[in-house]
Amino acid sequence: MAQDSVGFSSDYQFWMQKLSLWDQASTLETQKDTCLHLPRFQEFLRQMYEVLKEMDSNMIIERFPTIGQLLAKTCWNPYILAFDESQKILLWCLCCLINKEPQNSEELKLNSWTRGLLSHVLSAFKFDTKEVGLFIQGLGYAPADYYSGLLKNMVLSLVSELRENHLNGFNTQRRMAPEKIRFLSRVCVPLVTLPDIQPLVEALLTYHGHEPQEVLWPEFFDAVNEAFLLKKISLPTSAVICLWLRHLPSLEKATLHLFEKLISSERNFLRRIECFLKDSLLPEAACYPAIFRIVDEMFRYALLETDGAPEVLAAIQVFTWCFVEALEKQNKQLKFTLKTYFPYASPSLVMVLLQHPKDIPQKLWHQPLKHISEMLREIVEDQTHGSYGGPFECWFLFIHFGGWADIAAEQLVMSEAEPPEALLWLLAFSHSPRDRSQQRAQTMVEVKAVLSHLKKLLRSPTLSARDLQAAAAESQDRDPRPPSCQQLIRHLLLNFLLWAPGGHAIAREVITLMAPTDELSHEIAGFLDQTLYRWDRLCLEAPRSRKLARELLAELHAHIQHRPAAHGAAVHAAGSPRSRDETMRLIRRGTSSEDEP
Amino acid sequence: MESLLQHFERFSEVLAVSRTTHVRTWDTATVRRALQWARYLRHVHRRFGRHVRIRMALERRLQNQWRLEGGSGSSPVPGLTNFQALERCDLLLSLRLLENRALGDAAYHYLLQELFPGPGVPDADPETLQGSLARLARRRSAVHLLRLSGYGENSVLEEDSVLKTQAELLLARLREVPKAEAEGPSRFLSILWERLPQNNFLRVIAAALLLPPSSPRPQEEELEPGTPKTLADGDQELVRWLLTKSDVMAAFCRNLPAGLLTSVAGRHPELSRVYLGLLADWARHLHYDLQKGIWIGTESQHVPWEELYGKFQSLCQAPPPLKDDVLAALESCKAKDGDFQVRGLSIWTDLLLALGCGS
Repeated sequence: MAQDSVGFSSDYQFWMQKLSLWDQASTLETQKDTCLHLPRFQEFLRQMYEVLKEMDSNMIIERFPTIGQLLAKTCWNPYILAFDESQKILLWCLCCLINKEPQNSEELKLNSWTRGLLSHVLSAFKFDTKEVGLFIQGLGYAPADYYSGLLKNMVLSLVSELRENHLNGFNTQRRMAPEKIRFLSRVCVPLVTLPDIQPLVEALLTYHGHEPQEVLWPEFFDAVNEAFLLKKISLPTSAVICLWLRHLPSLEKATLHLFEKLISSERNFLRRIECFLKDSLLPEAACYPAIFRIVDEMFRYALLETDGAPEVLAAIQVFTWCFVEALEKQNKQLKFTLKTYFPYASPSLVMVLLQHPKDIPQKLWHQPLKHISEMLREIVEDQTHGSYGGPFECWFLFIHFGGWADIAAEQLVMSEAEPPEALLWLLAFSHSPRDRSQQRAQTMVEVKAVLSHLKKLLRSPTLSARDLQAAAAESQDRDPRPPSCQQLIRHLLLNFLLWAPGGHAIAREVITLMAPTDELSHEIAGFLDQTLYRWDRLCLEAPRSRKLARELLAELHAHIQHRPAAHGAAVHAAGSPRSRDETMRLIRRGTSSEDEP
Repeated sequence: MESLLQHFERFSEVLAVSRTTHVRTWDTATVRRALQWARYLRHVHRRFGRHVRIRMALERRLQNQWRLEGGSGSSPVPGLTNFQALERCDLLLSLRLLENRALGDAAYHYLLQELFPGPGVPDADPETLQGSLARLARRRSAVHLLRLSGYGENSVLEEDSVLKTQAELLLARLREVPKAEAEGPSRFLSILWERLPQNNFLRVIAAALLLPPSSPRPQEEELEPGTPKTLADGDQELVRWLLTKSDVMAAFCRNLPAGLLTSVAGRHPELSRVYLGLLADWARHLHYDLQKGIWIGTESQHVPWEELYGKFQSLCQAPPPLKDDVLAALESCKAKDGDFQVRGLSIWTDLLLALGCGS
């Protein structure tokens, strides 16, 4: 308690000084400073209320002789009164000063003075002429009616002035001066969460003046963005996109906010990720190449920093799905070439990747797969072709459309024919882009061997878990498989279980054998979720496989829930768990929007 | 039902008293009771919102409370004007008590405790008094901040908003005046004219007459059977009243700026006729001073030439049909006066010449 009160006293002194400095916030500097401190001052008011409510009026004056000054200065600062809940907390504090039974003239004076302040904040027609006050009262209306109507009309007239401004481009007389527009944006900072002000915020965001520089105050964008992310204001999508196009830090904050949600949400629920993404409006906004590039850059960074965490991979994939969907809807209005979105990629590759498998008959899926594989291979293996980036760039582009790799795996397992080189290469590449050609060739050989075993088992009437284990076993005379190869084999096995007629019976046994650790359980759960999600998107029937996948997924989730230690851990590609916070810290480290000073 | 109505009336009295110094006698118990009544009426509003018969019975009783006889000191408008008002009767009462300096310290202290219970109190009502009062304070500071934002440069816009708001509220009230006797609205307006600052009132009337026809209502109201009120109705009431009150009309046409009057005349042909008539009357009071070479009036209250000319000039810049009507009227007056072509003989000739429309 003693510690608290010392801290509080110094806070008190600090804010007392600040308030004196700000006075009534009449100059530009004081306004700026006030706006910057509004949230912290509100916190201080809250703390003060907690202290004051325990004391009676006399005690308060004894303990804080200057409190009258502090509260009065607060009351006279319109920025403070306009912000969030500050006016409410201030009223609470003032109520603490009222003495129920004043004993002497001092106490009476204090009461009278406090009542005056309360009146100032609440009731009287302070800012209008006497005639207006008389008129409203004569009509039997209360200040509440008048002020809500007046605010609405003022906002309407400002909005129409802003819009007219926009249309009246070269009619200098009617134009709203840039200083006034900037002032308006400053004034909106404390008011941003007041619903009556929303039309004005929208009009400011979509205002396109003829000045070469940004006319709105940067703190305005911050405040609007913050309110939007916390869902305290509802804006049309077009206004939010304007916000992000005009103020880069807001876009970055919004993306980071999304990342936090994605990483902290329940893992292995792609549907939920899709909801978060659509909610954030980022896929729609990404139809503007400038925004797409920045968000993509942040995804790339996140991927690099977390060394390919599966959450990030999944998020990128879902983001791309949503983005392509939004792009298709926009097709009439926005016309940007693919190159503006993917400037470092080969346009023909992008075109093939963008194809929707739904539009191609399933029998013919191997064609685009081959095509993709060939194009990627050409870029990756050709040392001289620097223009399309190295292997990582290729791979990064490819995993946006990661569904293709999964389709390739499925195709390989399901088909009776000899596995095509191209598909083998594609799978190996997608799981391990950094391999050199020799390692990759090795992987392809192993995979081919496993596949041929699996094909024999496909038609076997008596399928057992042991058989499957044998099929996937590593051969003794070669080097042990690297982890990415192991993962690849696991996925092939899982595909087999889902599709082979005999797979259903042995599925659970096989999984128990395959997944001794929690990380692997998570990995398998992720695979199942991703598969189900993909089947939904492609409108794939296959009721038996679906049913099995869903059941297995549910069982795995139940199993994971029972192990709280593993819950909420982001999995490193090598297998060691990493905490959520650490993941976010890594991602934040490089992006420009660090914490405010 | 009867007890409900009695409750109503008693609460209306309480509401009326809450503004007077009589509250000096109120103690904590009185305040508590008053607030409880208000809360009860809010509950009634919620409960019987859809119950048409009860609503109508209550509204009829409320209509009886209007004091339109004139001459009485109290406000013509009752504290509660319609069923909808019940929703905020506690807010109304609270604000009146908060403003009332006559309320004793103990009672005031109790009132504050009730109004501002502080954080962490579960909100039984989604719309608590505390929230409404805080929102009121926030809106006022919003108005203040917007004004600071250089509205001052363009004070016309601000004035417009203030006038527009008052106009909307005036029309909303007119809608609620009991129409049982057709005279209701007129009497109400007359009382307002007697009591309120007249200059402001005239400007508000002009603003009301110029409101766009699809202007939204200031308060939300559900339309119920038997009340097809639109703002246009309030419009018409104003015009009707103005036409019966020649003194108000004269002040209206004298004191308001020419441009404003032209707009009003353009929207309301009945008023434009009266306006022109008045202008003609005023013109006839002027005579030509040969020495000075100007038209002047004999008494101080006569409208001077400049003003007349200004008003006519504005009218002639209006879009047709108003412009044509004005010119036709001027021509006809000129003809009746002798159809002179030379200056100094007929004011009509001179006006037409000055306006550049003379032929």
